[in-house]
Amino acid sequence: MTTTAAAPPPAGVVPSSPLRKGGVLRPLRSFRILLPFAALIAVWWAIWASSEFSPQVLVSPVAVWHAFLHLVSYGVLAEYASTSLTMIGFAALLSLVVGVPIGFAVGVNRYAAHALEGFLRFLQGISGIAWLPLAIIWFGFTHTTTLVIVVYTLIVPIVFNTMIGVRAIPEPYMLALRSLGASRLRMVKDVYLPGALPSIVVGLRLGMGYGWRALIAAEMLVRKGGLGDLIFGARTFGQIDRIITGMIVIGCLYVVVDRLIVQPIENLTVARWGVLRQ
Amino acid sequence: MADDIGPSSRDKIVVSGLRHFFDSAGGSVQATDRVDLAIRAGEFVTLVGPSGCGKTTLLKALAGFIRPTEGTILCDGAPVRGPGRERGVVFQELAILPWRTVRRNIGHGLEIARRPRAEREATVARLIELTGLAGFEDRYPHELSGGMRQRVAVARTWAADPDVILMDEPFAAVDAMTRLTLQEELVRLCAATAKTVFFITHSVDEAVFLTDRVLVMTRRPGRIKAVIDVPGRASGRDWESFKVDAAMQAIVEQVLRLVREERGAATPAAAAGAPA
Repeated sequence: MTTTAAAPPPAGVVPSSPLRKGGVLRPLRSFRILLPFAALIAVWWAIWASSEFSPQVLVSPVAVWHAFLHLVSYGVLAEYASTSLTMIGFAALLSLVVGVPIGFAVGVNRYAAHALEGFLRFLQGISGIAWLPLAIIWFGFTHTTTLVIVVYTLIVPIVFNTMIGVRAIPEPYMLALRSLGASRLRMVKDVYLPGALPSIVVGLRLGMGYGWRALIAAEMLVRKGGLGDLIFGARTFGQIDRIITGMIVIGCLYVVVDRLIVQPIENLTVARWGVLRQ
Repeated sequence: MADDIGPSSRDKIVVSGLRHFFDSAGGSVQATDRVDLAIRAGEFVTLVGPSGCGKTTLLKALAGFIRPTEGTILCDGAPVRGPGRERGVVFQELAILPWRTVRRNIGHGLEIARRPRAEREATVARLIELTGLAGFEDRYPHELSGGMRQRVAVARTWAADPDVILMDEPFAAVDAMTRLTLQEELVRLCAATAKTVFFITHSVDEAVFLTDRVLVMTRRPGRIKAVIDVPGRASGRDWESFKVDAAMQAIVEQVLRLVREERGAATPAAAAGAPA
């Protein structure tokens, strides 16, 4: 939004925001979003109908729908899904609590930032999944192993983006506050935190994406509940319908988490301050 | 000249023998060369000079953001060792915080100083009135025009009530028409508050219009080359009468000549002082 306000708008008029885009075109827009999904289902159906597949290899969308209803009605899906969601939520919280201060400490120190940049990129290259063998040896087939893998995956982008966010804060903001007599704590509260927030949100968003994938992978090996466990367990019995149901739920939950949790944070803060410009 | 800039008991700020070097890719660069100056309490002083002559270096040293390589800066007789509440700064770039509303930006200094809420609100209201920001109190900076943002920056500095205000080309980034208005507003604001102001600019018109005294700086490494008194600030100024005032225009001519000598001067001396 690049509004050059000549005069304040009359009371009651809500200024347009990126949140309110669409309006009349809304039904058309959601149709556009659903179109690729419809195409995928159509292709899947066509392939399935084109020859005689054993139910051990491929099932129809209808069979998956029935499996979904079955899993929901017995509460199985809710249980597995809540295990995964609890884990990602807890891991995200832990990563923020630990990662943001680290990012700050590194960001305010030019030398530390320089020294750690390469190291953080190196760590980003070693995916959480690559840590699974070691984690299983150290922590066994436990929730701890899963948590360690997910936090590791989440925390690297959070630290990295917090650091970048802190370093991108314009110098005059800092100088101006210092000449207003601000203490170090004041600077963190009034300049560093809000200044780095857009970048922290980006880090969290990336981290949630990576972390969700790492979580499913870890659950597949650890086998202590969660959607990864659900689909990997179904493989043992050749339950193709369950596997595909689980996959779809994994994808949907990620979209929901991103849209319902991460994006609202962004809209509440960053978009309102006009820091994010579309 | 010694009389004009020599220290006296009324001096708010005294700079003596200030030399500053900074490191650049091409080695050490000398920004200023033995700057001596004294600013009296309640005085408005402007500093003009060619770009890159060390104006901003001098201001940053006065603000306490940098420590000069050589020389001393005294504020009320005490050496300047860092930034302080008694010396406010208005920057050329946008320095108000985008995540605070106009009201909260202006009141920021008072909030930091932990002044009571009632006092804070009264001061903010007064400055909003003085800077013509009424009606925009709850807007965020990105919703304002460039001129209004600088008004907020000026109001924020004034609200914190420092003795000395340092301004680094604060109106350079706004359009020409808005700049004229902002300059007139600043004249009125200073008349209403009696602050000691040190104002950097590269516009000769602006330097003369706003000030009690114009300091002209040489090109890098900069030192004070001339000091020109501009009488009559107390009786108020506006652009219409300033433009037709022969005495004022003569001063403008004089300052312009002094500045242009530095711009147009032959290169050997420049080559000795600064890398290309």
